[in-house]
Amino acid sequence: MTQTPADTRQGLQFFGRISASVSHEIKNVFAVINEAAGLIEDFTLMAERGMPIDPERLKKAANSIQGQIRRGDGIVKNMNAFAHSTDEDVREIDLVDTLSLTVALTTRLADMKQVSLSMGECPPVSLRANAFDLMQLLHSFIAAALENLTAGDSLVMSVKPLEGGASFSLSVPGKDAPVVLETMLSFPSQAICANMELNESAGTCELRLSASQP
Amino acid sequence: MKILLVDDEVELVSAMAERLSFRSVDADWTDNGETALKMAAETDYAVAVLDMKMPKMGGLELQESLAAEHPDMKFIFLSGHGSESDFKAGCAAGCNYLIKPVQIESLMDKIQEALA
Repeated sequence: MTQTPADTRQGLQFFGRISASVSHEIKNVFAVINEAAGLIEDFTLMAERGMPIDPERLKKAANSIQGQIRRGDGIVKNMNAFAHSTDEDVREIDLVDTLSLTVALTTRLADMKQVSLSMGECPPVSLRANAFDLMQLLHSFIAAALENLTAGDSLVMSVKPLEGGASFSLSVPGKDAPVVLETMLSFPSQAICANMELNESAGTCELRLSASQP
Repeated sequence: MKILLVDDEVELVSAMAERLSFRSVDADWTDNGETALKMAAETDYAVAVLDMKMPKMGGLELQESLAAEHPDMKFIFLSGHGSESDFKAGCAAGCNYLIKPVQIESLMDKIQEALA
């Protein structure tokens, strides 16, 4: 499959969107650490002036810093895995891991729309495909579904093997299957052999990948 | 004189309010725009410090609503993005603008500037 300049541009835009989202999250982590460290400094300055320090307040500030470091570590780990998705054109991909990473990288977008995004039941499944293209497709799929959801909704993503390929599904517990229009997927659909189907009986919108990927 | 801090990062905004209190600035805080509007309806805030990117109601939208109800209120925007578009939007709104992480002295200076 030959990449056109438009495909390349779209890929870069996707990489940019994810990078901007991740950098924003890291900035927030730094900002919270900065305030917690500043609080500890303030307590110390007050102690130098003779005011007693409350050990519980110090402990709370230290816990906040440790919690944010764990949060930041998770964010950077995800960003690193995302960056490595461009290492090879095609390889055997663990689709559960790939979906989990895409969900993690899309959570901030869902948070901004006040929709909770989570993983449902996912049996092991793998496929030879382009990891970056697949993540771009899945991100577009989730982003398009979010457009039709309202604050307070829960969006559950799953993947399962299907006829040698795989099926990714979106569902909103307690509601009908979320409608995702093909036109809302800002993705060069030829890059991955996929088609979308509304499975009303299962209450899901499904993105089906064929066994033979380009 | 009271200050209103609004940021969806609760640990950030609560610590910031506590640090401002050590500097004799009486600051209330909340993590969302809707509550901020209710708080501002009940309390007279001189300055509101608003995060630019928040779920549901962003900083710019909140600033417009607060300014419509409280014409004398001054505003300072906080952003983790530091994007040019955010900066231009904040400046267009005639407000001060700080990029996270913020040094408390810089915030104190901006509060003084806003009140001058």
